[in-house]
Amino acid sequence: MTVPELSVRDVTLRFGGLYALDDVSLTVEPGSLHALIGPNGAGKSSCFNVISGLYRANEGTVTFGDHDLTRTRPHRLARMGIGRSFQNAALSPHSTVLDNVMLGRFALTHGGFLSCGLRLPWTRREERKHAERAAEICDFLGIGAELHAPVGSLPYGAVKRVDLARALAVEPSLLLLDEPAAGTNAAETAELASTIHDIRDELGISILLVEHDMGLVMGIADRVTVLDFGRVIADGPPADVQADPEVVRAYLGSENAEAG
Amino acid sequence: MSEIATKSPPEAPERAPSPKPRRDALWWVRKALWLVVLLVALALPLYLEAEWLKAGQYMMVGAVGAIGLTLLTGQAGQLSLAHAFFLLAGATAYTVLSGPTGDPELLGFGLDPLLALLGAVAISAVLGLAFAPVAGRLRGIYLGVASLSLVFLGLYFGQAAENLTGGTSTGRPPAEFSLFGFPFSNEGDLEILGVPIRETERVWYLFLALTVIAFLLARGAVGGRVGRAWRAVRDNEPAAAVMGVSVWRAKAGAFAVSSAYAGLAGVMTVLWFDLLKPDESEFGTYGINVSIAYLAMIIIGGLGSVPGALVGALLVNGLPQVLALYSTELGWSTGTGEHAFTPILISSFVYGAAIILVVLFEPGGLAAIGRRIAGRLSGKQRERNGS
Amino acid sequence: METFVQLVVNGLGKGAVFALLALGFVIIFKATEVVNFAHGSLVLFGGYLVVTLRDSIGWAGAAIVGVVGAGLLALVVERLLLSRSKLADPFSLALLTIGVDVIVTEEIVRRLGVSLPFIGDAWDAKPIQVGGITLFRTHLVALVVATVLITLFFLAFRYSNWGIAMRAQAENKEAAALVGIRSGRVTATAWLVAGLLAGVAVLFIATQDFSGAGLSRGTHSIALAAFPAAILGGLDSTAGAVAGGITVGLVDALATHYVSFAFAKSAVFLVMLVVLVVRPSGLFGTRETTRV
Repeated sequence: MTVPELSVRDVTLRFGGLYALDDVSLTVEPGSLHALIGPNGAGKSSCFNVISGLYRANEGTVTFGDHDLTRTRPHRLARMGIGRSFQNAALSPHSTVLDNVMLGRFALTHGGFLSCGLRLPWTRREERKHAERAAEICDFLGIGAELHAPVGSLPYGAVKRVDLARALAVEPSLLLLDEPAAGTNAAETAELASTIHDIRDELGISILLVEHDMGLVMGIADRVTVLDFGRVIADGPPADVQADPEVVRAYLGSENAEAG
Repeated sequence: MSEIATKSPPEAPERAPSPKPRRDALWWVRKALWLVVLLVALALPLYLEAEWLKAGQYMMVGAVGAIGLTLLTGQAGQLSLAHAFFLLAGATAYTVLSGPTGDPELLGFGLDPLLALLGAVAISAVLGLAFAPVAGRLRGIYLGVASLSLVFLGLYFGQAAENLTGGTSTGRPPAEFSLFGFPFSNEGDLEILGVPIRETERVWYLFLALTVIAFLLARGAVGGRVGRAWRAVRDNEPAAAVMGVSVWRAKAGAFAVSSAYAGLAGVMTVLWFDLLKPDESEFGTYGINVSIAYLAMIIIGGLGSVPGALVGALLVNGLPQVLALYSTELGWSTGTGEHAFTPILISSFVYGAAIILVVLFEPGGLAAIGRRIAGRLSGKQRERNGS
Repeated sequence: METFVQLVVNGLGKGAVFALLALGFVIIFKATEVVNFAHGSLVLFGGYLVVTLRDSIGWAGAAIVGVVGAGLLALVVERLLLSRSKLADPFSLALLTIGVDVIVTEEIVRRLGVSLPFIGDAWDAKPIQVGGITLFRTHLVALVVATVLITLFFLAFRYSNWGIAMRAQAENKEAAALVGIRSGRVTATAWLVAGLLAGVAVLFIATQDFSGAGLSRGTHSIALAAFPAAILGGLDSTAGAVAGGITVGLVDALATHYVSFAFAKSAVFLVMLVVLVVRPSGLFGTRETTRV
């Protein structure tokens, strides 16, 4: 299958008089691992929410192949092959891991109240087939032993993996990851970095990653876009961006100062 | 797309994926228990007096309505106090659709009772769907109070439209139910094991069948794709949307399904009372008290739990009936006079207290208690299996 | 025209009473995010104290006991039940108040039996004529009393320590706790004030002028109209509660006169429904959003 290009062009997002995004453009090349970084409040999550249709941009367009995402309602995105994870995981804590991951199969399955309620043979067959696939994905992400555990009973690192599994269950050609390492410890972060890298290599899909953890980003990203106060201040390969004085001042500088 | 399962990360445990629910001994015990419950319910008319069967019927009315409400409020997270309205809608629709034609005072379509029942359920569902645009815009408590307005509007129109409902003073009797010509009345001789199967027994079996259907459909939906979408919308709307769930459609669907259940419970109510009367007195069947009673059932049973709704209905709808029967049987000073502790009053105290206790000590309701007991049992069993 | 003026004045009087009730809802909601479904039972409790005590200690004394009693019942409910369940979310606590409401209401209705006593002896059923307009004295007294109380409330809300603490807590609970605001005390006071206002309201509701019915289950269902009042104003807006209360009073008075008594209660809810469709968080409420 071909992976379309994601193109964000001249997007502006205002909340009242406040500019959350100011004329932001970026392109995620097919099959690339693209990172979006920036200090707190730089507009990374806003940018994500515009792409996934949760916020409406005031100006500009977002296109995914031939689809204009700025005119698309959010629940259409899964059908176009866009999967997304969430900063706060956004799972159903009382439901099992399998049930949460199966939500990712929603757009790929069929059946309403009556066919589910009557447990028609084709509904059960479909359910079984997709549950097997969901279990495979969980196994790949190392949470296969917890399929029937409620998400609320898992440690945070595993919860983030369930969120990732749900996004993968959409069978995306573009995966949007919103701070997958947030709240996880150093060892978990390292594992996660290799998992993300594996996903891209195995599936050949594009990944757009919003991340705080610089180590993770610089280690695996093909390309990095830096946002500051809603504007793009740098865009390029990790090494170039790291050397960019403006980035150092706006982001790395302040981060280092904090760390020091 | 290539298969990602070809490679497994180093930390993956050595375990075959088993997406199927476990079918251990406990699973079989559970199935067997349900079967016993069903067999007992089937056998009861052979042993119980008519009054007790009547009480049991009312519990089943509650069960059907409560299952519908727990799908909407527990599974889809939409607080609704409008349940009494949809009960009234179903009851009225059945009475009108099956009512005799040609009466100048009362509108009737003379439909076959089964068609009238299905029609009443469909009309209730459509009314639920009609409320969906409002419901879709509101959240939580705003929705709860907005839905309350349906109860008041429903009672007003029910009282005003006397040619449909017969009005509050006299009410209107419904057509008795019949299935392909078989009457659910005292007509004809029918015996099982020497026990005559008359109206009460027949209606018992009708209600039992409806309750079983309502229960199984709800269980299937909760376990499937539809239930998953409802829970996703309940827990996080943006996440549900990103996963492909149309939040608006999921909410509207939940409202339609729940209203259909309430409509069916309304048909059962009117068959049980043998009278349609759109009032909201203490003994009113469609007032806000009723909405609150249904809410009580699902809170006590555990929000979102289908078996919990069943048990909650047994308690909330069953207690006043059973107390009334016991008090006459034991010759208690039956509560009828002024200041009396009537069975309805005592039951109200019990379920009021039950709501408070559940929220304070066991927010998951009886369902959570049941799960915990089951969990402990299966835990023991696994220990015994040495795994 | 004269009828209309008369209706508006009477509607304002009713509205003032609904505003007192709605304000109670809103205060509790702002402090705790709990919607108090037991508000109607507070109204009944206050009224019940008045009718049982007035023969022995006189009307004024009984009224004071009734008002204080309703306040104390609210306080007890908060201290004994709600404050004990810190883990429960506001939604569950709202359900809990339904349990409280059922118990208190049923018991008071049982105690009242078939007697449906009127409360407002001091001024009830003595209409006055002002130029060709008949005005109900109850509504006028209610208007004056409610105006005074609501003004006092807003002053307290603005300037007293409790008011400042309360507004801080409504803004941001954690931050308020960090700067030393004792959340428990603020919450308890909110319930107390809401209960007191409910106790005052019942003095006007169970009257010949206001409802034509004495203290009964009907009083509870009239108090229920404070719900649409609070909701259409916006549950987290005190000004909205007053505006909502007045709206409900006017709609009630106009619908009763121009359509029918039976329609009036539905009309109130119908208006609320229309407002909610246009503004899902009420006229003055703040919109809630889900963060991702």
